[in-house]
Amino acid sequence: MEMIKDVLVGLWESSGFYALFADGTFLWQNLVMILVSFVLLYFAIVKKCEPLLLVPIAFGILLANLPGAGLMDDPTGLMDTSNLVEGAHWYDSGVLRLIYAGVKSSIFPCIIFLGIGCMTDFGPLLSNPMSLLLGAAAQLGIYVAFVIAILLGFEPAEAAAIAIIGGADGPTAIFLTGKLASHLLGPIAVAAYSYMALIPFIQPPIMKALTTEKERKVEMKQLRKVSKTEKIIFPVVVLVICAFILPSVAPLLGFLMLGNLFKECGVVDRLSDTAQNALMNIVTIMLGLTVGATTNGQTFLKAGTLKIVVLGLVAFAFSTVGGLLLGKLLYLITGGKVNPLIGAAGVSAVPMAARVAQNEGRKYNPKNFLLMHAMGPNVAGVIGSAVAAGFLLAMFGGK
Amino acid sequence: MFDLKMPLTDALAVSLIGIVTVICILAVIALLIILVSKVIRAFEKGTGRKKAVAAPEQSAPAAKGVPMPAGMNQGELELVGTDEKTAAIIMAIVSDKSGIPLNRLSFKSIKLMEDK
Repeated sequence: MEMIKDVLVGLWESSGFYALFADGTFLWQNLVMILVSFVLLYFAIVKKCEPLLLVPIAFGILLANLPGAGLMDDPTGLMDTSNLVEGAHWYDSGVLRLIYAGVKSSIFPCIIFLGIGCMTDFGPLLSNPMSLLLGAAAQLGIYVAFVIAILLGFEPAEAAAIAIIGGADGPTAIFLTGKLASHLLGPIAVAAYSYMALIPFIQPPIMKALTTEKERKVEMKQLRKVSKTEKIIFPVVVLVICAFILPSVAPLLGFLMLGNLFKECGVVDRLSDTAQNALMNIVTIMLGLTVGATTNGQTFLKAGTLKIVVLGLVAFAFSTVGGLLLGKLLYLITGGKVNPLIGAAGVSAVPMAARVAQNEGRKYNPKNFLLMHAMGPNVAGVIGSAVAAGFLLAMFGGK
Repeated sequence: MFDLKMPLTDALAVSLIGIVTVICILAVIALLIILVSKVIRAFEKGTGRKKAVAAPEQSAPAAKGVPMPAGMNQGELELVGTDEKTAAIIMAIVSDKSGIPLNRLSFKSIKLMEDK
């Protein structure tokens, strides 16, 4: 009888319900995060909002907040020395924390960039190199958000990690945050991906406010055909130039351009296929799951998270403004040959931002077809945000 | 009023240098693209001319009639600078996007637009 009682008590004490009240503290934050994960799963599955990312992220949030499950435990202090357990081995617990090493070491963001490189056609950019300037101007939000984050009292490295949300590039945001402020990875990744999914709602009002109807109606002339040789040379030249000027940009741009070379050279179709399909999918599962798992209730539900979410929106908005303003300038310089709407596509969310430019253009001129013109600034934005991340890493990486 | 971890002037300087750096690097890439594409196009033009002189009989016909596949509309389709495979893909896309079956569509010609 005594043994049955011991078994039942042991079972109760090892349960999640008991862990919820461990040390006399009610872990309400974990329950809130579990509810958040349910809401996100609803949006991903029912509303189909970025389901490929949101399902693993939401499930990661759920897994990391199960009381007592310890999926992100770090008993030997490989990444976090605050909860050391005497005599423990690195493999004893914390399966998600082990996978998280791929985020912490930048392996996952780089592999995602490899896949993106395989899927990216730089043709529109090569046929209209001016697009690169639009991609650069659309990084304005990063630097505006950086200054505001400093004003709000964040450490410079934290401010830099938060500001990169304005680059509208998930892997870049995760890469930089992992290096500069890994304790903020959860809120920054969630904010970055959320705003990328919300681009069709965030950008159109800004586009309308900053452009005239006449500008939005501009039809752009057909792009020239780009030769295969140009497409093969491009990734190599860009990598060499950027990495020589800013070596810290080499991991992201290196993988992006390697992927693009796989696609364009035409002799490694199997590698290109693997990188953009199987490998990309595998890493997306692990990246999404572990990014979600960084949102532990106790650390996530703080006033600082709200500040990050607001700063992310500011960064996104100013990046759109930067692209649009340069677009307007080019409209004036070229005598009305450039539709300023394509400037908004300079934020690097590919191809979402380009699609928004296309849709907005067609609203005012049904004959207008801006998609290919907007793809130039859009892919330039990928390079621009990687360069911006490299700059911030060079500035604050040696802290 | 603010508990700043970095002087505001420093933050503004970092931001200014940051955006200028991004613009400069991307501008350099843009210039290089223009330069490299000019070199490549000049080179390809040269080799293309040589090939044309060496083997004029191999140059693609400007226009070529191809019979329509069975089940499609009868008549001839003029292909200008377009191969049969590409033409078939274009016809399939037009049919798909317009929602009109291929046997109810009539294509007169498919012409490759030259660069201006």
